Amino acid sequence: MKKTKISILFGIICCVLAIAISIQVKTIDEANKEVGKTTSGNDGLRDEILQLRDKYNNKHKELEEAELRLEQVRTQAVADNEEDLEKEKQIKQMEKLLGKTEVKGEGIIITLDDNRDISAEEVLNVGDYIVHYYDLMYITNELFNAGATAVSINNQRITTATGIMCDGNITRVNGEMVGVPITIKAVGFPEMLEGQLTRTGGYLEYLENYVKIEVQTSNDITIPKYDGVYGTDYIK
Amino acid sequence: MKGKTTMTIVIGLICIILTAVIFLQFKTISKIDVTALENMREIDLRNEITNWKTKYEEIEQELENTNLKIAEYEEKINSNRTASELLTNEVSRLKGIAGLRDVTGSGVVVTLSDNEYVSITAEDLIKLINELKLAGAEAISINDERVVYNSYIVNIGDNFIRMNGRKQGLGSPYVVKAIGDPTYLESGLSKKNYGYIDVQKSEGKTVTLTRKDNITIKKYEGNINF
Repeated sequence: MKKTKISILFGIICCVLAIAISIQVKTIDEANKEVGKTTSGNDGLRDEILQLRDKYNNKHKELEEAELRLEQVRTQAVADNEEDLEKEKQIKQMEKLLGKTEVKGEGIIITLDDNRDISAEEVLNVGDYIVHYYDLMYITNELFNAGATAVSINNQRITTATGIMCDGNITRVNGEMVGVPITIKAVGFPEMLEGQLTRTGGYLEYLENYVKIEVQTSNDITIPKYDGVYGTDYIK
Repeated sequence: MKGKTTMTIVIGLICIILTAVIFLQFKTISKIDVTALENMREIDLRNEITNWKTKYEEIEQELENTNLKIAEYEEKINSNRTASELLTNEVSRLKGIAGLRDVTGSGVVVTLSDNEYVSITAEDLIKLINELKLAGAEAISINDERVVYNSYIVNIGDNFIRMNGRKQGLGSPYVVKAIGDPTYLESGLSKKNYGYIDVQKSEGKTVTLTRKDNITIKKYEGNINF
């Protein structure tokens, strides 16, 4: 009796293991295929990037903790007088304005993707059918024109310090790589944003001739906070 | 007795297999992480390294500044003195970044003007603002209208632009002031052939750039509602 139970138990364990291993092997195979494609002596560079990224992430965590602590000691240090309380309030407002907090609300989501159905024989310039950095720049401009209060591109918050960079084949926002499909989120009045962005003569109408665009309104948009740093070494 | 030995061996085997699976797992995960970087060429990888190094330095500096502020506040708390001045400094710094107070400093002045062949458009200015930000500008204005986080620029007719929703349009010459590292700003815009200045010139547009030590950039006069 006892033996039967043990046998069944082992049977089950074996089954689970077998399944785990086959999934595993499949995953590894796929990963190896990917890796095999291009590895050509740049592994050292890749490792360095991964290490730097880890190092940055750790420091970033530390900074976030310090910022929390700063808020605490600031509140503690504020004397119970009107003037100081007002200043503390201003600091918090300003931090919101500078994108230091996450924003939730209604608005629109625009998705852009390269047009891969185009073949080189059909068109003059295949390069026209991919999403460019300036497309992101002009769309952001139109979103603010339509009254957006917060905008992000692939979860990179657009702030007063944000530049959109063309770095060879790569587009960067806040220094971070953004690749297709590009998701632009904007918080604001959805009808207003949608109406303005999709209007006749608007940038999206023009761009639609080249790349794939999807526009949808949403009442549940989350735009992350700005993770970068504002420089103030030169303004006095 | 015999059954027990068999069981021990089986359990031992299972343990070995499990360990192996876990190891493979770890390896796979780190490889998948690399996959994101797979399609990059060597030059892109090198850029990426520089990029992360810069970001790290920035954040390290910011952490240092934050810790300094914490220490200053703590000192006030411990000595029971008012923190008014510290608060004022913080407000002032943030207002400077957000564009809500006048700021001065060194930087560059870029002037764009209509000529008899071509006019300056909103797109020229949007690109310029973007380039200035990429070159580390800390404050920017166009004809004394401050660029803030939600600024936008649109064409009205062929010869005017409108900015920040102002009723009053802006016209040529467009004097764009930017405060930041003058060397960095200048070289950022003046890259040969592909830089902003050269591209504008090749399109027949009139553009000049001068470095200046003492630039004043006015604050944003509108309401930023958030």
